[in-house]
Amino acid sequence: MNLLEYFRNDKEDILRLWTGAVYAASPFETKGLLRTVTDPFGNPGADMIREAAGALYDAVAGEETTAADVKSAMERFVKLRAVQQGTPSQALGVFYLLKPVMRERLLPHCSTPDDVNDYLTAESRLDSLALLAFDMYMAARETLAESRVKEIRNQHAQITRWARAFRGGSFIAG
Amino acid sequence: MAKLPTPQELIATRPPFPKAHWLDVKPEFAPGCFCYPAKKETMELLHMPNPHEWDPAADDWGLPENWEQVLCDAFAERLEKHRSLKLFMDICVRCGACADKCHFFLGTNDPKNMPVLRAELLRSLYRRDHTMLGKILGKAVGARSWDKSVVKELFYYAYQCTECRRCSLFCPYGIDTAEITMIVRELLHEVGLGTHWIMDPVKNCSFTGNHLGIQPHSFVEIVEMLADDCETVTGIRPKTPFNKKNAEILFITPSGDVFADPGIYTFMGYLLLFHELDLDYTLSTYASEGGNFGSFTSFNMAKKLNAKMYAEAERLNVKWILGGECGHMWRVINQYMDTYNGPAPANMIPPVSPVTGTPFANAASTKMVHIAEFTADLIYHNKLKLDPGRNDHIITTFHDSCNPSRGMGLLDEPRYVLKAVCNNFVEMPENTIREQTFCCGAGSGLNTEEIMELRMRAGMPRGNALRHVQQQFGVNHMACICAIDRATLPPLANYWAPGVTVSGLHELVANALVMTGEQKRTMDLRQEDLPGVDEDEADGREGGE
Ligand code: SF4
Ligand code: SF4
Repeated sequence: MNLLEYFRNDKEDILRLWTGAVYAASPFETKGLLRTVTDPFGNPGADMIREAAGALYDAVAGEETTAADVKSAMERFVKLRAVQQGTPSQALGVFYLLKPVMRERLLPHCSTPDDVNDYLTAESRLDSLALLAFDMYMAARETLAESRVKEIRNQHAQITRWARAFRGGSFIAG
Repeated sequence: MAKLPTPQELIATRPPFPKAHWLDVKPEFAPGCFCYPAKKETMELLHMPNPHEWDPAADDWGLPENWEQVLCDAFAERLEKHRSLKLFMDICVRCGACADKCHFFLGTNDPKNMPVLRAELLRSLYRRDHTMLGKILGKAVGARSWDKSVVKELFYYAYQCTECRRCSLFCPYGIDTAEITMIVRELLHEVGLGTHWIMDPVKNCSFTGNHLGIQPHSFVEIVEMLADDCETVTGIRPKTPFNKKNAEILFITPSGDVFADPGIYTFMGYLLLFHELDLDYTLSTYASEGGNFGSFTSFNMAKKLNAKMYAEAERLNVKWILGGECGHMWRVINQYMDTYNGPAPANMIPPVSPVTGTPFANAASTKMVHIAEFTADLIYHNKLKLDPGRNDHIITTFHDSCNPSRGMGLLDEPRYVLKAVCNNFVEMPENTIREQTFCCGAGSGLNTEEIMELRMRAGMPRGNALRHVQQQFGVNHMACICAIDRATLPPLANYWAPGVTVSGLHELVANALVMTGEQKRTMDLRQEDLPGVDEDEADGREGGE
């Protein structure tokens, strides 16, 4: 078997371990709900992890995919991490939790230098994807900052127009 | 070798199996997690108890010396006054049905944002002083004592609840965590703790009538400007009757619709609709705020601010009140107004539509009709000439605002209107709409910009459902019937489903409304060009009957 086949064989297991590691960072009392409620709208956070994990894994494994597709699959998850409490490294560090799982489950299958080489390439793909996620994270934070400014403006939008018209003299006070 | 933390160490916000009991893990007051405190002078002007300067991020919140006594007494008094509160404290069986129904929990993963545990923060204090077992066994039965960190915790979580009531829908006992939150906020006010975004509008509403404190003459001028804008779009300048005695109807709407984008377009929609109907109505510069910021503060404050409506109805001698698109305004009217300030003044009568003759039997007591009901009735009786084709460039969905939907059961009327004025309507998934609707994440006085990221995570379930219909069905618009939603949903949509615009219902109604003698419509109320309408084509659409 080549490495890609091992990746495919172990997909379910590895993703379970990885998402388990992501959930492990949540408080103990909430993990059960996160894991067991599968309705995509009743438990959207878990659905976001599921979607991101599947696409990310396939891309790391070397399946046929495009950066745009992986990005769109990771977007909701990264956006959620970007507004949850914690540092940026906490938000994005979750991607690196995949590495120890891969090393445990896949690396032992690599017996030839070629296999090891393929394995290292796969890990490098994970690094690239984490960088893509970083871009998305930053874009999300920018959106937040813009929203703050825009909201303040919107709250008084009509009053500003009124004040301008009034000061400009084109409006006759009633 | 360099000693660096592993990714596991980096991302663990707390150890996977915390040594501490959940109740003992205290919240961190990081910027972005709390609203700015109310100003001392604001609280003084409002005669609120124990006004003082304080900083949520500081260790010492400057509580009055006898803070524990104040809180215990205030709590005992509320238990005496509200039978429901005592019930809610006693009957929870910790079944967990509500646990994952709160958008704050879904967005934060914080156990104390599970409604059951949010309530437990207060219930644990209740047990110590008000239950036999708690008095004897203390901690063993989940009782705990007050201390200053408990006060901080109550503040943290009472302002991470939008009082949306989604949890109560799933509770087999109907425990309403929103009401528990309201009580907690009341208690906190007893020791001088409130937030700026709520108390500043309360002050303005108390002194000048509307939440930004705009003086009556300026308020009129601003409305006049909106009427001018209506004329630019339609060629018709709608009437703007103010303080007109003996008018049949008094119209009250949240002042956000007069001041804020995109609420103003909904207000323009009202003006045009009333003009077309030649409605005998009046606006008021005194009751110029429908929204009740007092309802985020205390029952007494809500009562005081609500009293304006009947007082003005009496002064102007109107027959009944028509209310605009607002959320908490309607929660107060529907749930509390009768008890607060009822019965309605003697000059008022059970509302009847002057256009269709329909009696609004549901409003017989409060004498207040929701505009979605009013307009749905007009459309049902074929009293409006509508061209929904003008809204063909939008594919819209509808956000059920928590208060009108869960708080008063207004589910079908807005949809009926929306479908009559828009040809493309798509529902969001079933467990995110109607009674099960997810909150915008920033209701009950939380739509302040300093907690934008908290709002985005709390609004995530709503944003996620919106994104779903955007991707699946090309939805590019979301209509709603709440002024706070019109402020909170644009940033939420921009974050979770960029490209979706937000508007009130009556903006879309007026866009579709074919008015008598109107000019050809080449733009919508936002003065944006109507796609596919060139000047010649618009000629064919001109005019009413
Ligand atoms: S009322 Fe709404 S915000 Fe408050 S606990 Fe219940 S679901 Fe959460
Ligand atoms: S659903 Fe009701 S009874 Fe069950 S835990 Fe929640 S509040 Fe308590």
